[in-house]
Amino acid sequence: MIKNYFRPKTIDELSELKLKTKGYLFSGGTDLFVKLRAGTIDTDTVIDTKYLNSKKIEITGNKLFIPINATYSELRMFIKQNNVNNMLENIVKTIGSPMIRNRGTPVGNISNASPAGDFVLASYLFNAQVIIEPTSRKLPVKNFIKGPGKIDLRENEFVYGIELEILNDYKFYFEKVGRRNAMIISIASLGLLLKEKDNKIKDIRIAFGSVAPYILRDENLEKSIIGETINEELFKHLAIEYQKLSLPITDVRATKEYRKSLVHNLVIKAYNNLFEKVVKE
Amino acid sequence: MIIKFKLNGKEIVKDVPVHKRALDFLRDDLGVLSIKEGCGEGECGACTILVDGKNIHSCLMLAVELDGKEVLTVEGLKDKTIQNAFVEAGAIQCGFCTPGFIISTKALLNENKNPSSEEIKEALEGNLCRCTGYLKIEEAVKLAVKMYNKGSDKE
Repeated sequence: MIKNYFRPKTIDELSELKLKTKGYLFSGGTDLFVKLRAGTIDTDTVIDTKYLNSKKIEITGNKLFIPINATYSELRMFIKQNNVNNMLENIVKTIGSPMIRNRGTPVGNISNASPAGDFVLASYLFNAQVIIEPTSRKLPVKNFIKGPGKIDLRENEFVYGIELEILNDYKFYFEKVGRRNAMIISIASLGLLLKEKDNKIKDIRIAFGSVAPYILRDENLEKSIIGETINEELFKHLAIEYQKLSLPITDVRATKEYRKSLVHNLVIKAYNNLFEKVVKE
Repeated sequence: MIIKFKLNGKEIVKDVPVHKRALDFLRDDLGVLSIKEGCGEGECGACTILVDGKNIHSCLMLAVELDGKEVLTVEGLKDKTIQNAFVEAGAIQCGFCTPGFIISTKALLNENKNPSSEEIKEALEGNLCRCTGYLKIEEAVKLAVKMYNKGSDKE
């Protein structure tokens, strides 16, 4: 049961409290309060980060900065108003429900480091950098997340924000497979960003959620097809390669065999949606 | 911890234990009975309240987080258009989920005076109903829009 509740206002105050109390940080509570209720987290101390005097969502150069406490709804509004990384909206709008998006935060999602985290997938696609205070460390999200729920964070540190690349002229496909549209945790998900020139691949980024203990993205495989002609053959090759790379488990949501098939089929489906004129469902 | 906030336009100052959820505080201590506990984990939307104009789950919020906020529940809706539309469209049966739907509808119509079917579905995707089957609920929102538009024609 929660006995202590703190509202730090500065980075140092927050850091000292975290170190001293070993309490859990929360902004929206959409994850922490569910876990407290289920008993998967047991703590008597919570630290409310919403009183922290922090920056707002902003564009600096070719980066989109998302600070601690910025909600999904706020991010969605920002990308619409500023016409920046519009592709993100396709991911953000599938997260939870309006009530969850009004409270939940991208920084919270990254800090939870679930391989099913939809914003974790987004952060891999946009080569996110994680900004950590009070040490002012900055590291790529793929190095920050060490495994399911495991992150590179010292006891006095917390995630202050994330920085995403701003990408223009990319084709984008995102699909999350689940049992219903709202409130699902994905059985498998795929995000694909592709820049083309003369029907050849100039840049490609492919990431999968929920098909391995981490977000699956293979930069070597991506690099190996730069300059290749975009056609069905190429995507069939990718589908097989990613299927080999995936390491899914069987859980309450689906079996590993089903997830393996999804990895293959989502790649083909992404190709059909982006490049085939007639899409067969 | 002493908190101060506005509930349905009325100033409230109360000492609340830090572990108490906003849901339990509002319902049990302040008698706001429109707020229901369904799942208790942010899945069903029966506990939805408006905090500073945004619909959120009161089951996933601590009472101390209400400090300094403006809270609106069905009890505080002076304008009954949405409720009337739900009744007229037959969008209620057992009524357990209805206050949550009404608050989410209120949040939608505050931002968007003329929502499309898709926008209505998205705005209500976090509210579950086990009786009516959603079609009538969608119709009720459209009816509320119609009622508001008729009202503004008269003015």
